[in-house]
This record gives sequence, structure tokens and C-alpha cells, in this order.
Amino acid sequence: MKNFLIFIITVIFLYSCASTNVVEVENREATTVDITQSEISNRISNVGLDLGEPEIKIFFDYDEDALSEKSLVDLLEISRVLKDNERYTLLVEGHADERGTREYNLALSERRAKAVEDFLVSAGIIPVRIEVVGYGEEQPSDISSNENAWSKNRRAELFFVR
Amino acid sequence: MKKILLILLFVHNIIFSELIIEITESSENLIRVAVVQKQQATKIGDLVVGVIEQDLKRTGEFEVLTKDQMLSIPTKESEVIQRDWLLLEVDAIIFLDIDESRNNLDIKFLIYDVGYKDISDDGKVLGLPDSLRQTSHFVSDEIYKYFYGIDGVSATKLMYVTKNENIHRLIISDSDGFNEQVILKSNQSIISPTWSSDAKDIAYVSFENNRAQVFLHNLATGKRESILATGSTVSSPAWSPDKSKIAFSSTMDGNSEIYLMDLRSKKINRLTDNKAIDTEPAWSPDGKKILFTSDRSGSPQIYEINPINLVKRRITTVGNYNARPSYVNKQKIIFVHRGTESFQIAALDLRTREFEILTSTKNDESPCIAPNGNVIIYSTKEGELSYLAGVNISSGVRFKLPAIYSELKEPAWSPFLR
Repeated sequence: MKNFLIFIITVIFLYSCASTNVVEVENREATTVDITQSEISNRISNVGLDLGEPEIKIFFDYDEDALSEKSLVDLLEISRVLKDNERYTLLVEGHADERGTREYNLALSERRAKAVEDFLVSAGIIPVRIEVVGYGEEQPSDISSNENAWSKNRRAELFFVR
Repeated sequence: MKKILLILLFVHNIIFSELIIEITESSENLIRVAVVQKQQATKIGDLVVGVIEQDLKRTGEFEVLTKDQMLSIPTKESEVIQRDWLLLEVDAIIFLDIDESRNNLDIKFLIYDVGYKDISDDGKVLGLPDSLRQTSHFVSDEIYKYFYGIDGVSATKLMYVTKNENIHRLIISDSDGFNEQVILKSNQSIISPTWSSDAKDIAYVSFENNRAQVFLHNLATGKRESILATGSTVSSPAWSPDKSKIAFSSTMDGNSEIYLMDLRSKKINRLTDNKAIDTEPAWSPDGKKILFTSDRSGSPQIYEINPINLVKRRITTVGNYNARPSYVNKQKIIFVHRGTESFQIAALDLRTREFEILTSTKNDESPCIAPNGNVIIYSTKEGELSYLAGVNISSGVRFKLPAIYSELKEPAWSPFLR
């Protein structure tokens, strides 16, 4: 016990004597990972397939996921096509304009796609035929920063997978 | 072979020309200093002096005398003619003792206070081979701390995302924009990069598989893995301060909720449960609370949750858009706030409820705080260009990192690197 105490006192003493403040530089090199040439690793869905132009686009108000009356008419038509073509499935991509934070917009864009899915399900389409994905503000269709561009970017794009 | 290497290095420099930091608003009370060498000036010594002078100027809180402005150049404290320096209104002279004898560069420094004829304790930074800039940055940070009582951040790093011709790059550079290293190069968006507390690993969201996924990435090895392969969105990662857990948001249960993953057991706990959007988790410095954004009240607002007992409370009440929160310290938070027409970075004191808008630009996003809790960097947009801007909380200094890329966004400031 006594030895221990002496040790502590010595350490404190030495520490307080050291007037030189020493900093050591650490090596922090990093490796570059380039995935621009690599294939998509987990192809488990239709997301990311080149499906051409969307069948239709549904537009939304700022920070909203409510479907307009015109959208409902368009979506009823989509549900009819799905019912007539039982092998078709549907991919719904949600998007947001650039205003607000990226992560919130990601969630908002997916909620828009989900609103489309929910309506189609209520119109009698089984959920397994519909896949939704959110892209947030990452894929604007118009890169300008004005109300006209924003209104075009707040959208859901629907693709038939035939 | 050597020639090819040189050419490669040269090309590398052209593509990734360094960011330049531009002070747009300086402090009203600049400290005036002169930086001199204790021995015969050498080429390397001059480089070190140059880096330190730039570091001090970049804070916007120092004014540095050029050699031409000095009446004499002392090489030790006893040579200082106090009257001359008082005449030049110099507050302090910084003496550097640069030791090039080892393969590594070591720097000893001391600060001579002109007014009081007071000399600081010796400080010493031990370098590594080829670490001239980093070693000098540590000296700058010690000098900053001597005058302002706050740790300097010259020796820290910045991470950010650039986009050029549809190539997205996740980049880490020194805090002055030098030494850019590409961490990840992808055809798809990369968002929400964040550091682990030891700065050895990072996490981010990559759309490389065409759906948002969170990746953990070791910087030294480049080894990376996605934390969860569900068919749904996984986003907004945040390491716990002890690095044992990761908070994130996901739509795996239908809509965006906050989850916690224990990184050893991979066990997942759900923290929120309602029909609203819950996202953007951010840990308190002590790891006991998590801030997040939720639109459960009808508009995005900031909430705080205790991850153990799941008790929540609403934090923001002013305005109809408050999101992407982070703690400055235990008592203060910053976030994106929508004012009448534009998005700006705001701060809220959790105890006094004092609310303050910190930025004067528009379209401000992704605020991050320096590890000294005193400087904020955020991304902002002018026309179609996004670039980074910053503000020093205590001094009011404002600066920007101009856009040399078509897009520069999503900044994340490293922890202290020692």
C-alpha cells in the first residue's frame, strides 16, 4: 500500500514538472475504392433496371404526399392495365425537390411512392406486384432552383415491368 | 517507372486541385503575431512558417506580420527589442525551433508575449516522415489554444462529397483543403458521410445498388460492408460516441423509423414507432440521448429520445421546418431551419431556449460542427452551384470554400486526430 502511494505521488510530481507539451503526429493514410466499373451486387429487385421512360408521372405539393384528383384518375387507369395484364408488375420511384434536408427528402420521396402503392392496393392490386423506392432529391428531372423546376421534381415515376 | 509515377502525381493534382478557403468576414479583434525561426532560416523552415501563418490567418482571428514589416528578426527571446514590437502593435512573437536532424521533422515552439515580456512553456510536436503540413498544423492548434483557450482545428480533417460529370466522389482532405484523398468513387449518389469517434472508420449512404444503403468503411484498408441488406431504404447513419452502436433510419417496417444496431451482436432495436417520418438521428456527446427529425406534428421538427427507456421530448417549436439536428455540446444544438423564404442554419440553447440564426446565406444544408465545438461548416447553393461555407460561433468569422467542383456538399468534420 505504501509503495503504491509513493508511486502515485511520484507520477503526479513528474507530470507536473513536465513543462513541455508534446504532441505526436499519427499516420492517417487512406485507400481509394473505385466502384464506377462494378456491377450491382445484390440484384434482388427491379430497382435499377433500365426500364426506359416512365409510364406516367404523379406530381406532389411541397412537403406533401397527398394525391391530386387528376393523379387518382391516372392511377385508376394504371390499376386497370395491371388487372388486364396479370404478369406485369409495377415499380414506383419517389422523388423530392432540393429544398430541405437530404435525409428528410429521402423519407418524403419514399412516402410519396408509398402513397401511390396504397391507392393501387385499395383499387384491388395485390401489394407483391408493386415495388417502391425513394431517391430523395438525388435524381432531379430539372436541376434549376426555381418553383417551376421544383414542381417537376416532386414526383413519383411509375414503370411497368413486363 | 519513376517518370510515370511523377506524371501520375501531376495529373492527380490537376484533377483534384485543392480547395481554397476564403475569409468573407474577419473577427473585429485580431491578434497580431509574428512567426520567426530560432535558427538560420532553411527551406523547410520557411515551408513550416508558411503553413502556420496560413493556418492562423485562415481562422480569421489572427493577423500575421510579413518579414518586410518586421524591424528586426530575433532568433531567440533575448534578442527581442520590446519597443520595436510595441510600435508595430504586435501582441506576440512565435519562435519555432525546427529540428530536421531526424528523418522526421520535429517542431519546438514558444510564444513571447510582447506586452508582458512573458514567455510560454515549451511545446513540441513530433512529426513523421512527409508530415510537414500535419506537424505544422498541430503547432498552429497549440498557438490558437494559447490565445483563445479553445483547441484549434487546423490539424483535423474534412470529409465531403463532390460531383463532377456524374461521378460522385467521397473525399477526405486536411481542414485547409490540402491533401485530398478520394475514399470512394461511384456513379451513384453518396450522402450523409459521418466519422467514427476515433476517425479510423466512416459510415455513409450509397445508392450504388440503386437503393439507399448504409456502408461502414475502414479508411486504412478500404474494406467496406453494408450494415443491412433488406429490400428497403437504410439511411442516415450515426456512430455512438463509444463506437459500439450505429443509429440509422430505415423503411423496413413500412415507413421511416429510427433503429439502433449493436455492431458486435448485430442486434437491432427499433426506437420510434408511428406513421410519421422519423430520421436523421444524432448522438449527444455522452451517448445518452439521440436527437432526430420527425414530422409527427405535421411539419418536420426536432425531438430528443433516450435510447434506453425510449422517453421522447419535442425540442423545436419555432417555425415549420426544423431538421438535421446535431449537438454542439450537451446544452446546444444546431439544425436546418426554414425562415420566411430560405433555409438557414440555426442554433438552440436547450437550457435557456435561446434561438439564433447563424448563417446569412440561403439554401443552407448539412451543418456539421468542428470538434472544438466552435466552428460550423455547411453546404449552400448559389445558382446551380453548391459549395461549402463556414462560421465561427465565438468570433463571428465567416468563410467559404469556393466551388471548383460542379457540386461540393455533405461536409463532415473529423474528431481530433490525437
